[in-house]
Amino acid sequence: MDDCRHTPDVTKLAAECPLPFCATRDDIAPLFTAEGYINGDVKEFCLKDQRGKWVILFFYASDFTFV
Amino acid sequence: MAAVAAVYPQLKKLGAVVWAISTDSVFSHKVFKDVSPLARRVQYPLLSDRNQRISRAYRVLDEESGATMRATILIDPEGVIVSKLVYPEEVGRNIPEIVRLLEAIQFGRKTGLGVPANWVPGMPGVKRDIRLAGTI
Repeated sequence: MDDCRHTPDVTKLAAECPLPFCATRDDIAPLFTAEGYINGDVKEFCLKDQRGKWVILFFYASDFTFV
Repeated sequence: MAAVAAVYPQLKKLGAVVWAISTDSVFSHKVFKDVSPLARRVQYPLLSDRNQRISRAYRVLDEESGATMRATILIDPEGVIVSKLVYPEEVGRNIPEIVRLLEAIQFGRKTGLGVPANWVPGMPGVKRDIRLAGTI
C-alpha cells in the first residue's frame, strides 16, 4: 500500500500526451498494395480498390502454422 | 487456414473480402498451398508482407521474431477499422466469432439497435433509449 501511495501518478501525464497511431477501432485502415498468391497465380492486391466492401484481414505468423 | 476456409462462403455471402497476410514470400505461400492438405482448401488470397510494412502499419508486427502477430482486423466499407482482435502466440482464433462479429455489426448498422452480449442472428437488438435505462 505504502509503495503504491508513493508512486507518482502518471495518469495525468499520460492523458495529456498525444496518442500515437495504434491502428485500432475507429482508425482509418492504412492503405497498402501487396502481392498475393491466389489460384496458382501471383496478383496485386490493393486495399483502396476494396472501398465499398467489408474487408477482413487475417494476419498470421507464418505458413505451415495454425491460424 | 482451413478453419477460415470453412466459413469463407459465409463471409463472402455477408459481402466480405477475405485476405490472409503473413511476412512469408509468395513462393512460400505457393508451396504452403501446394503441399498442405488443409491449405489446399483455402479459396482466399495469401498476401506477402515481405518488408513487414503492412504488419507494422497495423501495429501487429512482433519485432522480436520479425513475424506478424495472429490478429484479425475488420474494416468497414468506408475504410475504417471496426474491430481488431489480437491473439496470444499459442492460441488460435475463434473463427465463429469473426462471422458473428460481421453479422452483428451489419445488424447494428442496419437497425440502429444496440447488439447485446452473445447476440446471434435471430435475436433482438437493444433500443438505445435513455427512458429504458435500468429496465433492461
